[in-house]
Amino acid sequence: MSQTNDTPAMLAINNLECSRGDRTLFRQLSYSINAGQCLHIVGANGSGKTTLLRSVAGLVYSPKGKIQWQGENIQSNPSYQSTMIYLGHSEGLKNELTSVENLEFYSCLDGHSDQSHVDGDLAQMGILECADLTANKLSFGQRRRLAFARLLHSKAKLWILDEPFTGIDDAGRALIETICVEHLDAQGMILLTNHRTLSQSRLAPSLAVLDLMDFQSSLDHS
Amino acid sequence: MNLINAFFSSIWGFLNRSFHRLGSPREFFKISNYATPIFGLLFTVLTGYGAYLGLFVAPADYQQGDSYRIIFVHVPSAWLSLFIYMVMATASAIGLIWRMKMAFVVAICSAPIGAAFTFLALVTGSLWGAPIWGTWWEWDARLTSELILLFVYWGIMAVYYAFDERQTAERAMALLAIVGVVIVPIIHYSVEWWSSLHQGATVFRDGGPAMPASMLTPLLLMALGFTFFYGYVLFLRARNMVLDQERKSRWVRELVKSSRATGEAQ
Amino acid sequence: MAQNTFYLFARREWQLLFRNTSALVQPLCFFIIIALMFPLSLPAENELLTRIGGGVIWVSAVLATLLGLESMFRSDYHDGALEQWLISPRSLPLAMLGKVFAHWSCTGLLLALFAPLLCMTFRIPPDQIWVLFLGLMLGTPSLSLIGAIGAALTVTLHRGGVLLAIIILPLFIPILIFGAGMVTQQAIGGSTASQLYALAAILVLALTLSPFAIAAALRTTIN
Repeated sequence: MSQTNDTPAMLAINNLECSRGDRTLFRQLSYSINAGQCLHIVGANGSGKTTLLRSVAGLVYSPKGKIQWQGENIQSNPSYQSTMIYLGHSEGLKNELTSVENLEFYSCLDGHSDQSHVDGDLAQMGILECADLTANKLSFGQRRRLAFARLLHSKAKLWILDEPFTGIDDAGRALIETICVEHLDAQGMILLTNHRTLSQSRLAPSLAVLDLMDFQSSLDHS
Repeated sequence: MNLINAFFSSIWGFLNRSFHRLGSPREFFKISNYATPIFGLLFTVLTGYGAYLGLFVAPADYQQGDSYRIIFVHVPSAWLSLFIYMVMATASAIGLIWRMKMAFVVAICSAPIGAAFTFLALVTGSLWGAPIWGTWWEWDARLTSELILLFVYWGIMAVYYAFDERQTAERAMALLAIVGVVIVPIIHYSVEWWSSLHQGATVFRDGGPAMPASMLTPLLLMALGFTFFYGYVLFLRARNMVLDQERKSRWVRELVKSSRATGEAQ
Repeated sequence: MAQNTFYLFARREWQLLFRNTSALVQPLCFFIIIALMFPLSLPAENELLTRIGGGVIWVSAVLATLLGLESMFRSDYHDGALEQWLISPRSLPLAMLGKVFAHWSCTGLLLALFAPLLCMTFRIPPDQIWVLFLGLMLGTPSLSLIGAIGAALTVTLHRGGVLLAIIILPLFIPILIFGAGMVTQQAIGGSTASQLYALAAILVLALTLSPFAIAAALRTTIN
């Protein structure tokens, strides 16, 4: 990589190859992200966007290629997990628990000893009136907002967001974009997927685009 | 001092190299080209000679007459049912720790063979029991734990075939095989304890009359022959599995091409 | 770390179980119904019931535990909570120990507490009831711990229930043998110490090893 002389990139993907079953999704994918960057991963349905995000989150292990955080493999790196947040398609919210309880659990899981910020976070996401409703009574958009409330007080440097703007209204979208921009300004990093282009969004200035179609294997079509 | 060091490091290097060679599917396939027929030959010779000695040369038992001769199949099968389990669990552990593909292949290919030998041990035990005990099934400790071992084998195979994704399937199966290693001895011990409560002394005498060499020799020959049979079938199954898993790789494509070419030439 | 991982997960599991009372009650009802099927299917002899009662209650407890295990990780898998645990910096084995502990306290412990009532319908003498209760208290945590390994292995499968039974029931056999054997020994006036120690040994083994096996199983199947 070009950065060998400088300090190692915060997050570096080296020659990664991912496959689902027999099908190779992408191969020889190398990319590195530094503080303050937002990487938008694009590609057709089934091109491996979610698999790439899950690999970086450490949920999917690929024997071929490496993913490194500050020069160390993410698999054998417990400090990596405390500096990363992954929000996937399913929010991980329990239907039986209220919004406050759900958020408090994740705040505890992320290592906060004090949960007094939870109400403020809910207010900032505009769902304070749902604080004592159980999660099965929330609408899809409200659930998304609740899931994103976790980002507000997180200490994580790296956010991995799979389709963050799905099912959310314009106001919600603006809210999430603001949160993301603040995170980037604080030298955070974001990895996200989104169906549509983000060139009009407020994230555009720090945006880089990675097209997975460039790393499709030619072998598969033979 | 240096000499000793060099000696050990060269041995370590040799082990390391052979480990890695066996770990690569392609190298395994090459080695199995030679190993498979050798194992098959050894199996045929040993089992053939053992069966001849056991069926025609060994004297009849003074109590059981000729019916005892099923021992030459029963005991080696029972022995292999445990031996194969240990091989499978060891291979599983190697696969999980060093993420070695070939170890998983050995483990999953061993499971049906182990289950088959367990089944054979049960059937021959039951056949033997009919004239001797007067019943097809006796709740004897060894038969019962053998039956549970068969269930454990089935469980392990069922887990492997339940998953679509191969990597998940082999790792899940390996994990269960290792959990079984801890629990199978406990099962055996518990069944033995239970059975002693159940029927007093078992039919198999502990340290019964010493077996004459004329019976022991064929028994050991058969056991050895069965072990080579296991190796032989394992190689055959593993070769198939390797070819299937690596069907997209260049070396398998070339192998197929060249074998097609020789087929057409003939 | 802010809050003890074991306690965090145990408390969450308790919250969930108490809000979803059907999950709490179902294994218990199942336990009682299965146990009461036996007298109905056997000759109406009180003496026979007394003799087999201990074994029947143990078999029912094993089956009821199996029923509870099936749903142990399922909802956490479907709503995505499971993957959040896997990537959290918390120790996954410790978290799973907390979860299984809370789960046991709402299934196995309840079964053990209800078993003496069932014993009375089988006309089991009080000294044997006491032994049976002790055996269940020592045995059911092992059942939950070992069973959780199977539940973790089958959580992603659509019809994991039958597979779970196939892989886990053989592994439950030693606990069943020692637990039911204790009652038999007590009935014939023998010493129950050896089975008690065996059950305790299995529990120690399960407590130390199975959290790691559960964590490894979850990491294997979730991807």
